[in-house]
Amino acid sequence: MVSEFFEAVGFGLVTASVIALGAVSLSLQISVTNYINFAYGDLMTLGAYYALVFDTGLHLNFYLAVLLAGIALGITFVLMHIAVLQPFVRSGARVLTLLVVTIGISFVVQNVIILIWGTSAYRYTVDVGNALHLGPFVLTAGDIVIFGTSVLLLIALQLFLKYTKFGKALRATSNNKDLAMSSGINTDLITHITWGISGFFAAIAGVALAIEENNLRPFEGFNELLIIFSAIILGGIGRQTGALVGSLVIGLAISISAIYLPSAYNSVIAFALLVLVLLLRPQGIFAGREVAD
Amino acid sequence: MEYFFLDLGVLGSITAIMLIGLNLQYGIAGIINFTYYSFVAIGAYMTAVTTMGHPAAIYAKGPLAERYILQWSLPWPIGLLIGGLSAAVLGLLVVIIAVRRLRSDYLAIVTVAVGYIVLNVINNYTPLFDGANGLWNIPQIVKLPTESYAMYLLVLSLVAVAVFMALSHRIYHSPFGRVLRVIREDVIVAKAFGKNVQLAQIWAFVLGSFMAGIAGGLLVFYIGAWSPAAFQPTESFLLIAALIIGGSGNYWGSLIGAYVILEGIAEFTRFLPSSIPGTVVGPLRAILIGVALILFLRFRPHGVLPESLLRLYPRKRKAPMAPTIQAGTGNVPGQAS
Repeated sequence: MVSEFFEAVGFGLVTASVIALGAVSLSLQISVTNYINFAYGDLMTLGAYYALVFDTGLHLNFYLAVLLAGIALGITFVLMHIAVLQPFVRSGARVLTLLVVTIGISFVVQNVIILIWGTSAYRYTVDVGNALHLGPFVLTAGDIVIFGTSVLLLIALQLFLKYTKFGKALRATSNNKDLAMSSGINTDLITHITWGISGFFAAIAGVALAIEENNLRPFEGFNELLIIFSAIILGGIGRQTGALVGSLVIGLAISISAIYLPSAYNSVIAFALLVLVLLLRPQGIFAGREVAD
Repeated sequence: MEYFFLDLGVLGSITAIMLIGLNLQYGIAGIINFTYYSFVAIGAYMTAVTTMGHPAAIYAKGPLAERYILQWSLPWPIGLLIGGLSAAVLGLLVVIIAVRRLRSDYLAIVTVAVGYIVLNVINNYTPLFDGANGLWNIPQIVKLPTESYAMYLLVLSLVAVAVFMALSHRIYHSPFGRVLRVIREDVIVAKAFGKNVQLAQIWAFVLGSFMAGIAGGLLVFYIGAWSPAAFQPTESFLLIAALIIGGSGNYWGSLIGAYVILEGIAEFTRFLPSSIPGTVVGPLRAILIGVALILFLRFRPHGVLPESLLRLYPRKRKAPMAPTIQAGTGNVPGQAS
């Protein structure tokens, strides 16, 4: 029983690291743009398919393929922002309208994926390796790579935000856009960069998810999106630490609950936790922004 | 061909009932509900199990067994009513979460999550809902040949559409409807006028859920089967897209959304040349609706039939007192002296 528990904690940490990649970058984008991107999940999947093209189509090294997919999805995000979302923001659309617009984008992306790749499952050429016993945990080499990559990327992002000029400008924009603009920050450029970073992370998260789930399917990202949202809302909206803690809580809750409940209820646990938190503490564990429309 | 239009008419009318209910929640009261289809699913299920009686002998036991609760065989109008009320009860539970002060877009995510919980429990908790197998062999409410039965249900659903349209009309122009619209535009103003915001929102939401349940009941009478696979969250997004393109707020827009945007496009893809495979038509249709949704929001955000058209035909009311200014009794601003 104890060993089962530790195994679950190990899986939970890997699950949490995949959620955190999405949660932190989506939360960063929300804190800068102040609206939700509901297409994030489907775009994650698109990034995973980009990596598939580079990996199995062009026969590149797997890690290079993932890097290229990240850059390609980052560019996709920036183009989507310029072509579709920015005109809405400029015309003063409400957050709810923007949410519905991103739902429209989600529709389009999801079905473009189905049109191009069909609904069958794909795999990368990479081998996840056999299960290894590391202390009390049982993990595959793939799990360890996912966990390590996620931790490294998240640390790199925090360092970027804390110590570079761009990072400081980005935090200033997220804090108060008008004030940032009047201090001479090019907030348009900062917003583009934010979307680019968000896209890069989304592709990595999409690939990690596909490896964790053992195959790549068109609805994977969409289903994961709700879990990512649960993590973000749980931790308090617009807070980086909040998103991290939220991911950890959700990841562990999903895998530990799997000991006691059939695995089919995995996501139910995440959402039930979300609804419960909203009832008890609508602003999240870490008080986020003022709750207002 | 005739049957084609009959089918379109029945499904369109049932979708119209859903959109009228959704319009009451989202269009008029401004409460977002991204899991409207869950209420349709619950209404459909409860209507089915309260009217269909025990499973047929061959499905009573064994691996093919059809398991479901209640197994009542009530007259269909009562079953339909129970379906509507069950959806309303679920609506009450959801709206209690919804009226908490949460930013509208986060609330939207929460409703999606609630929908997932409902769908997931239905799919996996076999003792209650028979899991992914769903229900089948739901008997017709009157024994008729296929076409006459479709005609019968067409009349029935058109009556329901008429009743709910009339109700929407009454609500829209009533003091209650005005309060809802004020809440939609500005909650603080509504509160400042001493209106009970939460109660009004709860009523609107519960009424809309009731309509969803009725629509679900009629759907299950028509199709004769019920499966959780048919109630994916994307269905709710399609309804919202159709409502916005048709014109949210304006209840006539719901009819456009139902008959033209959803059923019209879906049914007419049957006439596409057979060289286009079916696996392409579905995604193409969804892409079309997605693009149309974005373009409408950008260039015609109030839809085909904007809400402002309703104000062209306001209800008769007493003429307001015209401000009268009597000449020579003081300074009137703007008047040259």
